[in-house]
Amino acid sequence: MTTPASRTEAIATEPIPSPGTPPKRLADISVMIGGQGGDGTLTVSDLLGRYFRKLGLYVYTSRNVLSRIRGGHADASIRASCQPILSIKPDVDILMAFDEQAIEIGRSELGPDGIVLYDSTGSAADVPKAYGFPFATLVGGQVGQPIYKNTAAYGALSVLLGFDPVVTRQVIEERFTRRGEEALAKNLKALDIGRQAALSVPGLADRWHVEAGDAHDQILTIGNQAVALGFVVGGGRFFAGYPITPATEVMEYLQRYLPAFQGVVRQAEDELAAINMIIGAAYAGARVMTSTSGPGLSLMTEGIGHAGAAEIPIVIADCARVGPSTGQPTRHEQSDLAHLANLGHGEFPRFILAPATPLECFQLTVDALNIADKWRVPVILLLDQALCQNTTTSPPYDLEGIHMVRGKRLSGADLEKMAEYKGYAFTADSGSPIAPPGTPGVWSQVTGNEHDEWGHVSVNPVNRLKMMTKRMGKMVAAVPDLPTGKYFGETHAKIGIIGYGSTIGPILEAQERLKTRGIHTRFYQPRTLWPVPGHELDPFLHGVDVAYVVENNYTGQFARLIRETVPWHHAKLRSILRYDGLSFRSPDIVRPITEGV
Amino acid sequence: MVQSAKPTQPIWCPGCGDFALLACVKKAAAELKIPTHELVLVGGIGCSGSIHNFLEINGLHALHGRLLAQAVGVKLANPNLTVFAAGGDGDGYAIGMGHFMHAFKKNASILYIVMNNETYGLTKGQPSPTSQIGFEGNIEKPFDAILTALSIPAPNFIARTFSGDPRTLTAVLKEALEFNRAHRGFAFIEDLSPCVTYNDTYKLWRERVVDVSKLPGYDPSDRKAMFRLCMETMDSGKIPIGVMHRPAEGAPLDPALETRVLPAGALGPARTEIEIEPNMAAYAKLLRSVA
Repeated sequence: MTTPASRTEAIATEPIPSPGTPPKRLADISVMIGGQGGDGTLTVSDLLGRYFRKLGLYVYTSRNVLSRIRGGHADASIRASCQPILSIKPDVDILMAFDEQAIEIGRSELGPDGIVLYDSTGSAADVPKAYGFPFATLVGGQVGQPIYKNTAAYGALSVLLGFDPVVTRQVIEERFTRRGEEALAKNLKALDIGRQAALSVPGLADRWHVEAGDAHDQILTIGNQAVALGFVVGGGRFFAGYPITPATEVMEYLQRYLPAFQGVVRQAEDELAAINMIIGAAYAGARVMTSTSGPGLSLMTEGIGHAGAAEIPIVIADCARVGPSTGQPTRHEQSDLAHLANLGHGEFPRFILAPATPLECFQLTVDALNIADKWRVPVILLLDQALCQNTTTSPPYDLEGIHMVRGKRLSGADLEKMAEYKGYAFTADSGSPIAPPGTPGVWSQVTGNEHDEWGHVSVNPVNRLKMMTKRMGKMVAAVPDLPTGKYFGETHAKIGIIGYGSTIGPILEAQERLKTRGIHTRFYQPRTLWPVPGHELDPFLHGVDVAYVVENNYTGQFARLIRETVPWHHAKLRSILRYDGLSFRSPDIVRPITEGV
Repeated sequence: MVQSAKPTQPIWCPGCGDFALLACVKKAAAELKIPTHELVLVGGIGCSGSIHNFLEINGLHALHGRLLAQAVGVKLANPNLTVFAAGGDGDGYAIGMGHFMHAFKKNASILYIVMNNETYGLTKGQPSPTSQIGFEGNIEKPFDAILTALSIPAPNFIARTFSGDPRTLTAVLKEALEFNRAHRGFAFIEDLSPCVTYNDTYKLWRERVVDVSKLPGYDPSDRKAMFRLCMETMDSGKIPIGVMHRPAEGAPLDPALETRVLPAGALGPARTEIEIEPNMAAYAKLLRSVA
């Protein structure tokens, strides 16, 4: 295999189709762009995404990056479809590779009809259906800087996919105008270089044609942005965090959003400080949140227990990644659930909510703030890396159905009618009325030690019994306020599927694929994971003969919690697990279910 | 008037240095006429960290070592509150060391009082970060909080006091509280507060404390001079006490954290309007900005 560095013409390893071959029409396409970190793979994905959205397509993108600033293999995948999608397509249709490593990594993902475009400047391809263009050489010669090769790649892809040249150019203008005239001009030149290169290969133009869709009203977003927006409209005004992948975007978005609402965002010295800063702010009466991932969650465990004991309302967004220890910071896993359910020493109430789409991230963040405030408990929003960071088209966020529940807050007028103000008063429903510090005429003691109704440290066994019962009673009393599960598929199907978080995307797609094979399924998506919703699981499991629990971890953590909650359904449960750091693709779910039939 | 939590009896041993501090805190707050409901004391874990229970104020009993992070959270959420943090030397200089260093850097207007008795009293007399070599088998050099505080270039108020001198202690507490209430930043007082049961240092400390303000070259606006003065005093076997740093009279104001992160006159995250209706237009605009 030779790699002539000075070549400027295209190389093809596929017989040229005969002229007049009609374009292959696609309603669902996936493109993978791979190269070294810094090659601009994400930019190509972004440009394609902008074009696809102009076509009204639903878009889903994921990225595979190393935990380093520059260099190392990086790739981005983009899928566009006429139907709503929440996952990456199992097969790659087009691989755009900037180096041989990207070809090597990407070729295993290619579908049977998949083709490869690659930068032949320093690479050769020994795969079928590959087209090499010396993008870096051409762009380096004509624009002066080879870094614009990514825009040339977008140009070549636009020819292959039969994009309208005017709209293709418009996308470049929209993306680069704010970078200044020079940058825009260079990108437009690179675009032209890429287009001309692809047009020079007979038969390549308009090979494929992507259908238009109806997703024009959709927004493009990530789960972490949705959490930040939900926090603002849910009345959240104080956030403290510590940078950690894949949670950092929550803090970054809030740094943009909160100041306009007299909100405060602080980057703390560590996660211990972050959780304790929000505890202090919540005690003072603010609605608060922090976001973190596994390693930070381990440190925050101390503070979450404190909030549980002291009855301080806090929200923690856990953006789960591969663990334990530092694990794989940029990779996907759902292995924090067992820790969260049992988190901390001692026993205290906590609730775990699990959104599955950005829209649910938005809505459940509001729910989390309301539940925390009303019941004076820590509430955990459990997300996973794919949900946090993969971009997806989503219905726009709006204020429909958004409510504010503040719980039993005492005003000066309420207090005037009371003889005594006890911050931990025993009540029938476990919730105690409170007045934050600064309320005229009263003060209170708040502590993580066991305490009496006044908040004074107490070792009295009778008080301990009552206080524990009161706190733990919240686990029952709050159930009507918790997000309910969702059901998809055939109501009377005998095959059940259970999954939460971003797994719903591949599960929904698997259901469709199974249906075409005559296999009907019913899918239950719980949105509260703790307490485990036995009242939803029991009837669901009654209705099916078998239920596949789909989760990204080794031990089947959610399946274990289900067995513990509804042990009489033990024999019906099967686990479908994936723990290689990647999210599920629909065949991972289709295969075991088909084999089980 | 509605009855709030009544102060409980201190858990301290008779003669504990913390009694003097408690009395001086009450006196300072009363003399400054700070309304009780606007006072918050964030307590640490240990004998000294229970002090909030003995006062008619808002108390937040934090986790061991985490009181400063909680106190900063309280202050930023409601900058109108007067916020103390109080705990021991183990709490502040061992488990809480990371937060201690960052409190100077953050410069929120809170008053942190460390009651230093050079031992872990509540767990029965183990060596602490400030214990002298030889105390209960201690083989590690004692840590000096004042030198550390002086080494962090921030416009803080820094002082060391002695529970055996309540008059000075009250005066320093008042100055620190006024510094906080003017939103001038973080105030730190290390009070030498002997543990009469496990490390009774009253006699020793009374002999050794030296009021640095009486020494030639005393200039609390000059960190370098104060660092040298403290080092020289310690080298001569004495313990420097007094105000160790305060920004110079007339020096340009370096705003405290709460005034950096909130607009002037802001109520703060705890009191700002969060109901949906009054924010509806702004929320709709924010959500529309997502395309």
